Amino acid sequence: MLEIRNLTKIYDDGTEALKNVSFKVEDGEFLVIIGLSGSGKSTLLRCINRLIEPTDGEILWNGKDVAKADGRDLREIRRQIGMIFQHFNLVKRSSVLTNVLSGRLGYVSPWSSILHHFPSEDRKRAYEALEMVGITDQAEKRADELSGGQQQRVGIARALMQEPSMILADEPVASLDPVLAHSILGYLEDINKQRNITIMCSLHYLDLVQQYSSRVIGLRGGNLVYEGSNADIRKMTDNQFKEIYGEEAVRVNAGSISGGADE
Amino acid sequence: MSNTNTKKIKPLVPPVAAAVLSAIIPGLGQLLSFRIRRGLLLFFSLVSIMGLFIWRLAVIAHREIGIADRLAKSFSREPFFIIFICLAIFALWLWIIYDAFKTAGGSADKSLGIFVLILVMFFSLGWQISEINVGKMIREFPEAWPPLSRILWPWEAAVTRDTSSVTAEAAILVDDTKNPPPIPEYIEGEPYIKSTPTYGKMSTLDADNNMILGDTIHLEGSGFEPDTETFIYWEDSVGNEFRPRQNGKYVTLTTDASGGFSFDLVIPYRLTPPSAVGQQIHHVQARQISEVGPVKASEPLRLTIVLMLETIFMGMMATFFGIIFAIPLSFLAARNLMSGSWITVTIYYIIRTIFNITRSIEPMIWALIAVVWVGLGPFAGIIALTIHTIAALGKLYSESIESIDPGPIEAIQATGANRLQTIMFAVVPQMIPPFVSFTIYRWDINVRMSTVIGMVGGGGIGFLLVQYIRLLDYKSAGIAVWFIAITVAILDYVSSKIRERFV
Ligand SMILES: Nc1ncnc2c1ncn2[C@@H]1O[C@H](COP(=O)(O)OP(=O)(O)O)[C@@H](O)[C@H]1O
Ligand SMILES: [Mg+2]
Repeated sequence: MLEIRNLTKIYDDGTEALKNVSFKVEDGEFLVIIGLSGSGKSTLLRCINRLIEPTDGEILWNGKDVAKADGRDLREIRRQIGMIFQHFNLVKRSSVLTNVLSGRLGYVSPWSSILHHFPSEDRKRAYEALEMVGITDQAEKRADELSGGQQQRVGIARALMQEPSMILADEPVASLDPVLAHSILGYLEDINKQRNITIMCSLHYLDLVQQYSSRVIGLRGGNLVYEGSNADIRKMTDNQFKEIYGEEAVRVNAGSISGGADE
Repeated sequence: MSNTNTKKIKPLVPPVAAAVLSAIIPGLGQLLSFRIRRGLLLFFSLVSIMGLFIWRLAVIAHREIGIADRLAKSFSREPFFIIFICLAIFALWLWIIYDAFKTAGGSADKSLGIFVLILVMFFSLGWQISEINVGKMIREFPEAWPPLSRILWPWEAAVTRDTSSVTAEAAILVDDTKNPPPIPEYIEGEPYIKSTPTYGKMSTLDADNNMILGDTIHLEGSGFEPDTETFIYWEDSVGNEFRPRQNGKYVTLTTDASGGFSFDLVIPYRLTPPSAVGQQIHHVQARQISEVGPVKASEPLRLTIVLMLETIFMGMMATFFGIIFAIPLSFLAARNLMSGSWITVTIYYIIRTIFNITRSIEPMIWALIAVVWVGLGPFAGIIALTIHTIAALGKLYSESIESIDPGPIEAIQATGANRLQTIMFAVVPQMIPPFVSFTIYRWDINVRMSTVIGMVGGGGIGFLLVQYIRLLDYKSAGIAVWFIAITVAILDYVSSKIRERFV
């Protein structure tokens, strides 16, 4: 279980990206974070595994405060939390298999891993992960030879290698077309339902939010401005909507609900 | 040149005044109409063209004093150049006045025609300054062709064979008849020559330097290689050897099928040295030179190969040392790694500046410095190339560190990897391709550079090439040129192939 208490992030340049944000994530949830571009979604997700140092507040992961963890403790927490990214963040010139295997780095011995030596059960596990996302035949290819949708599946396989209890996904489908978006979110849904892995995911498209989320939180200017169940978001009023997205927001069923994609 | 903001400002002087001012100081009228850049550009163009023109007059008519005399003299030498530049300067001046008038009137001429004229003037000055002389190039081609052709096709000089010579000689008493020497003893199977008689008068010169022919002797030989060219040599009483001429040609003959010959020779002219006293015994020789043994590489070919190897290894060593220093320095010159504190930022700027200065000095100049430091030879060349390589690679490396994608680093950190693992999995794979590619590229450049760095004493094949050209040994120089061209071509191909694989 993840509990965020009074989380605040102020960047070096003075930008207040998160202001006193508190919420809870129960195990097995599919929590979607919505909010305009610049509202702090990426900052929030990256604070949870400390890719960004929070300025203040607590991040309680199964009772341990991630914000205070250090060195080995932090790495141990990180390996329990997988992460996938909008731009996939694969090592482009390495093979798909190497990219997937790198999900094991938190487990294996550092010295043999830097020589790219992984235990044989990890290789087996890597092929299983690739099979789960349906790209076993691409294992030997260089990551940048794959299409966008395939690269995101490699990203999912890499996260699965961590045998995580939770996966953070920062706009995982923002660089993909709608068909691929559904296929990627379908994998996340399977992972969520079948393996009972908690998913915390920021999304742009209203129909996707309505279809996949079990619960939704909304950020606006670094403040938590909305919390609701899947049923709530399905019957959300335009006024509530504007509360989160600002005046310019429009409700488009198959379109963007945040006034344009990031970047 | 956008003037959107200056257009609104009113010119300080009326059009006529602007025109007059520009006539006195070119560009002043434009300046006062707030077309600052245009005014300055026109002013400095006109001033520098006139300055260069006056300098050229001084060079062309360097004996004359006073501008009028120089102009007259220069005009007689290069009429077209002088007329063109004078007219163009005058046209430019008129145009500047006209432009000042229009500009102050608010209707600025946007056309660039005048800048074309300025460019053409600079071009013709440049043509004159750099002493371009196409006529000379064409006129002197016939004379240049023999050495050039030897450089273009030098391969006869690339191989040689050992030679052996067969000689027989007979003694002749000259300008005397008493006690002539005996005919040589005949030995079966040895080459043999005999003269009848074994004495006679030498050719001499009369007061007008006309040749008065001496006595004729009959020469008979045997035991030589059959059907082979045979050269006749004459050796005077003090042992100096020369090839006598008959009817203006060196005396040569060809042996018959049994290896013998027989012919008449007029005893040649020879000034007897004062040290020769007493009975004057000369010798006549018949000599055959034959190539024996297998074809082998000539001395120039061998030297070229050896020095080509030296050159390639110079380039390699310079690249190697360059890498060793460039890698650590490149991290200090990468902005993204050094933006932490003011100390690191200072280090970043210092190293970047050193890189830029060092790189802007050509390896040839570094070689001149290195020769002073460690003396002539390949080591000086290696030092020069290494210095330049460190700066060039350091800059390229640090730029590739700067352009590294932070995404994968974030992703690998998120898996729980430690720092070392993150570097090995996310940083190194991104760095290797540009590093390899830049390094191969640099090796290529270094070998190219080391082919010429010898010209200033830095070792390698350039040194040999310069030597051969100074000795007018164009065939050997041609061999060196060919080897340089072939090596560079191969290297170019190999390096582009390797780089292709890593991009
Ligand atoms: N490294 C950074 N330094 C300074 N400000 C940042 C940095 N990263 C993000 N921000 C700012 O923090 C705010 C939240 O950004 P982000 O978390 O990326 O929003 P989102 O992911 O919702 O688009 C924005 O105003 C953004 O400009
Ligand atoms: Mg974002």
